Amino acid sequence: MKLIILGVGGMGALSLSKIVAQMSMNRNISVRSSEIHGMAKKGGLVEVQMKIGEGKSGVVLQKTADFTLVLDEAYLDYGKAFLREDVFGFIVLKNKDKEWIVKDLGDIRFANALILGRFVKQQNLFTNDDAIEVLKNFKFFKKNRIAFERGLV
Amino acid sequence: MKLFLSGNEAIAFGLVEAGVRFIVGYPGTPSSEVIPTAMDIKKRFGIKGYFDWSVNEKVAFEEATAASYSHIGSAVVMKQVGLNVAMDPFMNTAMTGAPGGLVVVVADDPGPHSSQTEQDSRFLAFFAKIPVLEPSTPQEAYGFSKKALFLSRNFEIPVMIRSVTRVSHSREDIEVGRLDDLQVKPNFIRDVDRFAATPHFRLILHKELNEKIESIKKLKWFSDFEEYFEGGVLIVTSGVSFAYLYDIVKDNNLEDKLKLLRISMSYPLDLEKLKKAIDKTGSKRVLVIEEGYPVIEMQLKTKMPTVEGRLSGLVPNEGELTIDKIGEILAKAGVLNQKSHGFVLPPFKRPSLCPGCGHRSAFYAIKQVFKNKAIYASDIGCYTLGLNLGAVDTVHCMGASISFGFGFDKVYSLFGKNDQVVVATIGDSTFFHSGMPALVDAVHNNSKLILVILDNSTVAMTGNQTTPADKYNQIGEKTKSIEIERVIEALGVEFLKIRDAYDIDGMINDLKHAKDFVLDNKVPAVLIFRHPCVYSGEGLENNIRFKNIYINKDLCTGCRVCVNQFECPSLIFDEDRKKVFIDVATCIKCGQCVKSCPFDAIKVEQ
Repeated sequence: MKLIILGVGGMGALSLSKIVAQMSMNRNISVRSSEIHGMAKKGGLVEVQMKIGEGKSGVVLQKTADFTLVLDEAYLDYGKAFLREDVFGFIVLKNKDKEWIVKDLGDIRFANALILGRFVKQQNLFTNDDAIEVLKNFKFFKKNRIAFERGLV
Repeated sequence: MKLFLSGNEAIAFGLVEAGVRFIVGYPGTPSSEVIPTAMDIKKRFGIKGYFDWSVNEKVAFEEATAASYSHIGSAVVMKQVGLNVAMDPFMNTAMTGAPGGLVVVVADDPGPHSSQTEQDSRFLAFFAKIPVLEPSTPQEAYGFSKKALFLSRNFEIPVMIRSVTRVSHSREDIEVGRLDDLQVKPNFIRDVDRFAATPHFRLILHKELNEKIESIKKLKWFSDFEEYFEGGVLIVTSGVSFAYLYDIVKDNNLEDKLKLLRISMSYPLDLEKLKKAIDKTGSKRVLVIEEGYPVIEMQLKTKMPTVEGRLSGLVPNEGELTIDKIGEILAKAGVLNQKSHGFVLPPFKRPSLCPGCGHRSAFYAIKQVFKNKAIYASDIGCYTLGLNLGAVDTVHCMGASISFGFGFDKVYSLFGKNDQVVVATIGDSTFFHSGMPALVDAVHNNSKLILVILDNSTVAMTGNQTTPADKYNQIGEKTKSIEIERVIEALGVEFLKIRDAYDIDGMINDLKHAKDFVLDNKVPAVLIFRHPCVYSGEGLENNIRFKNIYINKDLCTGCRVCVNQFECPSLIFDEDRKKVFIDVATCIKCGQCVKSCPFDAIKVEQ
């Protein structure tokens, strides 16, 4: 599976990629990723490309990804460019999601659990339990779980 | 134990597992995660070792050299431009050797993504005559780090691990080995002809170095080449380019068109052996694709003038060799039918200081006082982004703000109007790194420079590493805090003011006084504008946080003064309504923007 995660600094794009990686490792599936940070912290793009169960490098080319997870609406077109033409794995964190998270959970970083929920719902490789297994080790498991379950709806 | 490690984390695991017990360096993207990982390993596995940050790369290199002289496995870690800072000891340690082993971890940044240059450190390995290993994946970064110490110890020569952004910042599931606490004993054996060599003995050491390199050239594994696939066109490659080429061949079914010959040690190269290996493939056409400068290609060209690569114009001479770029090169060479699908670029989003960053308030105050009249020399760090507030005119290399400020002031004082104000801005860690010597010069030679030290008490840009001003290191060990103000006073600076960078009126006042002082006295003034980095957990938790901050829509005229002059990314101009609004997802409710509105439209609730 080829996966792209796009966000801006501080949104949790890197944490999200690590959750997916841990889910893979728990299932003994090889996982690679490639990320660009640096100036990303300053509000710029955080881009994580992942290969699950394939490849030598973690790089994913445009028009080859199975899923794109976009945590900032500024990157809709860029995110779409990575998707294979025959798939519908486009998952976006909308502004209204952000508002709900900040209001109900108090920190925008819970966005990644919500997106994870939407991702898990749409694919066949990982189950809900795979995700919960990883999330339950988090400090704020309760809030992550609320966000994750909202993503499953 | 299987872990999802970045290339940098993998290097730390490899080094410590191999027996390296002394690791020092200075933070710099993309190298910064090696030392924090080593420190975590030390704490987690109860390993005895010295792993920590040094004040700069030159100092780090010398510290690690002495540890290696004492027969302790050592490593020094830096980004590519950091090696420029460490060049002097780097060249010398190549000569004197490294008895306990010394691994020089350098992360290059082709692109560049977050650097001033995209220089290729392999050239500096070539220049110093030390071996350089090029991992292509995090898994190899782990394995090569172990091999590097082995090679370094056996030949008593520094060995470079050359990583690049795409290896350092890629991740892979890696099975790491056992981490045991070793019994190591320092054993410095006096040998003045080597460790305190006069020029006469340096000649002898140079000969020894040449002999070491000749032996390493023939060494099994290190001098071996890996061959992949059975095609007629041969590509000689190394490092991350190898991983990309491998994936391109697999994804495009080019197994019968291309053959890859992968080099792990790009210097020293056994050119006779390489030529034989190439001849044996029977390939009529040989391309060299390597990330960085033509290091392999230049060496190979002496034996095979027809190889194609950067020197022949096939491969571009600047920019990162991304997988897309390599695809284009193969298409240009006629070996890949790549359909051009029109690469979509991400929308450009200007990097900006974080919402609530004290540097922004400081730059705002500086700009309010000096407008466009001062010359603004700045430095390497987050505050480079003072560019967005129009308060940065130059950014060059670590510490150069003060020396540039000195140079500007001297020529304007001598040949121009004597009232030209020069404002240098530098961060706390950069001041310690290489700003201090320049300030000595400015004080000693009467420069009327205004130096603003933007002190956020951390190395913020590279991920909040500790500075010499900290009282504890990353893993809670006690350190001695070096107070910047005491350094400034000790250097003989006569005007020093310290202010919280959230006190905009106070800073404006200090800057005006500093201006009068330097013009009257023709000596430097130093201001420390201090506010903890809000990107650090502690800084954010302890930061002032208003209950609410909002725009009074009736008062907002849509003039954009706040957006343009204060430039906080949480202030967003709504093009439809012609009013500013506050982005709740990024705003930290610090209230610093209030001062920037000429119509008092930004309101806070206590």
